Amino acid sequence: MTQMEAPRIDSTRIAEVSRGLDRSEIESREKVFTVSDLGVSYHGKLALEGVTLDVHKNTVTAFIGPSGCGKSTFIRCFNRMNDLIPGAKVSGTVLYHGENLYDRDVDAVEIRRRIGMVFQKPNPFPKSIYDNVAFGPRVLGMRGSLDERVEHALRRAALWDEVKDRLKDGALGLSGGQQQRLCIARALAVEPDVILMDEPASALDPISTARIEDLMHELKRDYTIVIVTHNMQQAARVADMTAFFSVVVDEDGSGRRGVLVEYDSTTKIFTTPSDKRTEDYVTGRFG
Amino acid sequence: MRVEFQHELDALEAGFQEAGEIVVRAIRGVIDALRTQDVELCDEVIAFDDEVDARYLALEKQIELVLARQTPVAGDLRLVIALLHSGLHVERMGDQCVTIAKLTKLSSHLGTRTAVVESLVDMGERCEEMAKISLNAFATRDLERARTLHALDELVDRANRQVFQEVLGYVNDAEALEWGMRQITVARCFERIGDNAVDIGEQTAFLVTGEFAEFTDASHDTLH
Repeated sequence: MTQMEAPRIDSTRIAEVSRGLDRSEIESREKVFTVSDLGVSYHGKLALEGVTLDVHKNTVTAFIGPSGCGKSTFIRCFNRMNDLIPGAKVSGTVLYHGENLYDRDVDAVEIRRRIGMVFQKPNPFPKSIYDNVAFGPRVLGMRGSLDERVEHALRRAALWDEVKDRLKDGALGLSGGQQQRLCIARALAVEPDVILMDEPASALDPISTARIEDLMHELKRDYTIVIVTHNMQQAARVADMTAFFSVVVDEDGSGRRGVLVEYDSTTKIFTTPSDKRTEDYVTGRFG
Repeated sequence: MRVEFQHELDALEAGFQEAGEIVVRAIRGVIDALRTQDVELCDEVIAFDDEVDARYLALEKQIELVLARQTPVAGDLRLVIALLHSGLHVERMGDQCVTIAKLTKLSSHLGTRTAVVESLVDMGERCEEMAKISLNAFATRDLERARTLHALDELVDRANRQVFQEVLGYVNDAEALEWGMRQITVARCFERIGDNAVDIGEQTAFLVTGEFAEFTDASHDTLH
């Protein structure tokens, strides 16, 4: 073309900036977890049944669904937290980088180092800010400068600038949002591979919530993040993939258990979900 | 705060401006094609419209995702709504260019009449200017500049009427009349491009003030 030359501006920019990764792009990434036919029961009663899904590297994967759908039970399977609950039994398989997480010779403590967890309520130790972050590396006898490790973790958790002049102050003096970022820094200090977050922002104000969400976007470059949230819009904002769980009640009303209804790219879940139950939930007509 | 969301809004706006820049080039293309009666250039303009359409579709898709995932409110919501509307106006400007290019091709064997061609070129250049102003006023949130579009559009409308009057004079020359009828439609296309530029100006006003008001209301204009 002579006059109508091709545009100077890179036309793919819109797509690149978008977080709306499509499913094939996500699924081309390495599998961190491969879950097959997973079920969890407490004292013989099924809480969750038949869950099959993959979690991919450097993505944020969100689990959403109404209360009692088993999403928190499910996330606890990823670092064997259910081992700590009396009467809990896990069936099916969870492969972590191809290895069965529930094999007898797997060290649950090592698993929890590589797969860190952040809980709903910030739970810093009643120690200094510094000691909270240094605790894990100390216990594990990790090599290298502890100061550098603490600083690095606090920087990664976007907290360093706010606390660098008062590292010896008690962690409980921090605001709720800062405490939650401290807990993220504490999880990062032991060099994990995966960060599990169980309702990480539900006890926080909107500004602190936005900070945590920004942080998730930042952290997924280096980590794989799995989040449980009852806040659908939070899943819409931060997640690449979203799994919707729902509750199935037995015909005779004797039992209720969680099931995975739909698992797809977040874009798909929030624009054109395949299952009517997902549509009803995300549009606020159910649950 | 909300860094990703801001990136998405920035990308939407960049995508809109990019589509606009391409349309400005398409307008320039039809002006040149008209002046030189260059049939090949007409074909280029027609093919080039795919570029505009692709960007418009990408913009619309991206806006759907932002609405679904980010639930924008207040100024962010106005921006997204204004981009959705303005994107469509830009896409339509591109369509008008295609029509002009097709008409120019169709009538190229009939010979041209200088006075009308000059009027059309003049209209085209005013439209090109209006398109640039509408995009720039949107980008800079310049309400005053957006409001100038209405006055510029009056000039385009006047030129449109002149073309009509000129063609009326061809009534006794069948070939000239056929050519002229097509040029009336060309003028009408330019006139629509001017209207689309005004529409984008109105979206800028909505974005800035939060209130939507048409700069003019054609249904209440007196006919000239």
